[in-house]
Amino acid sequence: MKRQSKNVKNKPEISGKDSDKYFRPESKEELIKILEKHDGELTVIAGGTDLLVANYKNLYKIEKWLDLNWLDSFKEIKFFDDKVEIGSMVTHQRLAKLDQIKEHFPVIQEAAIDVGSPQIRSRGTIGGNIVTSSPAGDLLPPLLVYDAKLKIISKDGEKIVDANEFFTGPKQNVLESGELVEKIILPLEDNESRGAWVKIGKRKALVISSISLALNLVFNDNKEIMDAKFCVGSAAPVPLRIEKAEQNLKNKKIKKINIEEVAQIVSDEISPIDDIRGTADYRRKVAFNITKSALQEVINQ
Amino acid sequence: MKIRLTVNGEKREVDVKPETRLLDLIRDDLGLTGTKEGCGKGECGACTVIMNNKVVASCLVLAPQADGADIKTIEGLGGKDKLHPLQQSFIEKGAVQCGFCIPGMIMSSKKLLDENINPTDEDIKRGLSGNICRCTGYVKIIDAVKDAAHKIKSGGEENV
Repeated sequence: MKRQSKNVKNKPEISGKDSDKYFRPESKEELIKILEKHDGELTVIAGGTDLLVANYKNLYKIEKWLDLNWLDSFKEIKFFDDKVEIGSMVTHQRLAKLDQIKEHFPVIQEAAIDVGSPQIRSRGTIGGNIVTSSPAGDLLPPLLVYDAKLKIISKDGEKIVDANEFFTGPKQNVLESGELVEKIILPLEDNESRGAWVKIGKRKALVISSISLALNLVFNDNKEIMDAKFCVGSAAPVPLRIEKAEQNLKNKKIKKINIEEVAQIVSDEISPIDDIRGTADYRRKVAFNITKSALQEVINQ
Repeated sequence: MKIRLTVNGEKREVDVKPETRLLDLIRDDLGLTGTKEGCGKGECGACTVIMNNKVVASCLVLAPQADGADIKTIEGLGGKDKLHPLQQSFIEKGAVQCGFCIPGMIMSSKKLLDENINPTDEDIKRGLSGNICRCTGYVKIIDAVKDAAHKIKSGGEENV
């Protein structure tokens, strides 16, 4: 995102009729003041690529908008020795293009490349994907396999929540009114890791996943899998870690992976539903097949 | 509320509501009806414009979010007197059937060629993946983008 707000810094603030219905804080301090004053009244807009669709033809019913697009600090990606902090307003497009994301979190990058279309990736954000909390949210399985944590802020302070504990159901999460995701914290791994991402949909672009899968394996010096993370999207009410599959993979050398066995575990562990994007039966079969292809991809890397 | 933005190089000041979409601002307030509304839900790409150097679905951007922005619409590319190479190539290659998707197709193509003047067929398909043509004339559209790239490389895009 270009630093839009720098271009308009010297301009008068938005004013006139209705300007008390649209808030665009440019600093965290300003944001907190707005959250204090308008507690419970605000509809938060990030990229808008879900919100404006969900409220199509009803946009006029939204009383007060809180637009996060003017918060430059929410668009930063900061690297530290042991972690990376990604601002919640970082777009899919940036995640898809940045070499540092490719180097350290290839599964996130591959998923970001698969989100929507160029028009959606240029506006849609990682924070929006998280807060919308669709079981089909493309970035969610990758975030879970990298052990992401979320920094949540409100007028009352801040807290860190494990991404794996954030989602509570389809489009539901632990956020309460007045709470926002400020950034995503990803630990940096020193050991060798290999990952894979598979998204299945009815076409390649602009599709909501029928099922998706993210996988990340971390190896010790003896080339044994010391940590395995496995997560399936669109196959349960929330993006679902498959812990039995993770346990099956742990402490194995890569050549000892029993691909068929893991694929069967994944197929058994998910709890898919029938919907317009596929039947539960279809999803179990595809889960089996994409687990096999993802593991094969990791073995071949 | 009043916002200021630059549209096709001209500075404009427009009175909008918080929920006015950029698409409505462009079509209704500025009268630039080249930009089309298809689905209104970001799936068809007919409303594609370039905002701060990015392709966006103008149906999914609030007008106040475009305060201070630089917007380019199909009207900013060229007109009857002087067509942009993309417009010329779309005509020459017969890429236009009903025409409704074409402004969006051309804006996405413009952005694609700005970044990559030697696109492969696959690059073009990815670049245009957010634009749907229901006449299904994709082959000629891809031909037109390649032809435009050739024209631009041989010096046809001055003053654009």
